[in-house]
Amino acid sequence: MGSVGLTWPWEHRISPVVHEGRSQLQLAERETGANPEDAALAAGCLAGDLRAYERLYEWQGARMKNLARNLLHSASDAEDAVQETFLKIQRSIGSFRRQSTFVTWTFRILVNTCYDLRRSRVRRKEQTQNDSEEMPKLPEPRAAVAHPSLRLALERALAQLTQHQRDVFLLYEVEGFRHMEIAGMLEISETASKNTLFQAKKNLRLVLEPPRSREAGGMR
Amino acid sequence: MKINCQDRERIFRDGTAEEWAALELHAATCAECGEELHAWKALSVAAEELRDYRPIPGLWRRIESSLQEQSEKERLRQRSWDWLKILRNIPVGWQAALAGAMVLALTVSGAYFLMHRTPTAPSAGNRLLKTDALKRVEEAESAYVLAIDKLAADAKPQVEDSASPLMVSYREKLMVLDSAIDDLRAQAGENPSNAHLRHQLLTMYQEKKETLTEVLETKR
Repeated sequence: MGSVGLTWPWEHRISPVVHEGRSQLQLAERETGANPEDAALAAGCLAGDLRAYERLYEWQGARMKNLARNLLHSASDAEDAVQETFLKIQRSIGSFRRQSTFVTWTFRILVNTCYDLRRSRVRRKEQTQNDSEEMPKLPEPRAAVAHPSLRLALERALAQLTQHQRDVFLLYEVEGFRHMEIAGMLEISETASKNTLFQAKKNLRLVLEPPRSREAGGMR
Repeated sequence: MKINCQDRERIFRDGTAEEWAALELHAATCAECGEELHAWKALSVAAEELRDYRPIPGLWRRIESSLQEQSEKERLRQRSWDWLKILRNIPVGWQAALAGAMVLALTVSGAYFLMHRTPTAPSAGNRLLKTDALKRVEEAESAYVLAIDKLAADAKPQVEDSASPLMVSYREKLMVLDSAIDDLRAQAGENPSNAHLRHQLLTMYQEKKETLTEVLETKR
């Protein structure tokens, strides 16, 4: 079989050193997840120290907002989700049992908050749909990226996945969490997380690649 | 470690670092696996396009003030229950004795109020007529109304024909009384058991009777 060859513009950026399909950058981020500061932050937040919350924000705030934005497709909703997550952390820090890292626990709250916001947004949309036609949604401005067309293509492809596949893909590939952490956040098994990611990537390839390179199997 | 093309998907799904390294080696000599491995990694690289970790101006200030507000509310809520903490420092024996004393005090005061309760007569306004009493009242009222109507018929020529200021005054008074009687009868019709309304109606009838009597005496 001849090389079908993917023609994606980002090909040249693929690092030759990839472990388990992950880039070095993501591995570095994974390491930060096990940062000893994690326990200190948990203790600070438990003591009600606002500086601990600030440190948590400085450390994970951008990542939290990025995940929320990718889950909610809205910058303002993402900011609301991050704010609500911090309030929930403050309210329920007493129930943190250290069964996972503090950051994982924090992201679990964030993911659930995003789900709640998404549900309430769907309800709102259903209520207003009878009254008026929805205005076409304009894409929100984002940071300049190397391949804006790629980002757009990927966002469109992600929209065709199931919600579960999309969430696992975003958590693993974009935010760099381990399957064990994702399992804790989404309340699934580690194996389920791996299988979901595998299926998500297979489906993304089906959507993104030119038809000639597609092989057997449709989207599942 | 020896692997072949059939191992590829399993490694994509859940491969160890060694298996990934072996797949890389195999892919160097297998065009199909090379293609698949390349495409698989490309998705991970593409995912980086969805990262936007720019700082969000003003978001921390917003979060901080909402955290402070929530913390202050919680502090006030806690303070309102602080007095209960005094009980924690009291030995269990004394706590039991205190509870017993409170129960005893409540029992004694309750018994005192029960024994010294003065029977209060229900006020005329709130008293409701029972069915038998209501029947008697209505019978007496009809007879009274008939008698007053007869009196009114006797006084009618004098009241209507005379243009003297006194008679004009009586005529106006009788009109006001009739209007009040009509209102009260309407209210009594909606709430026939209300003794207060019946008393008011009786007062109006008595007033009308006295007015008519005065009119007739004026004639003489």
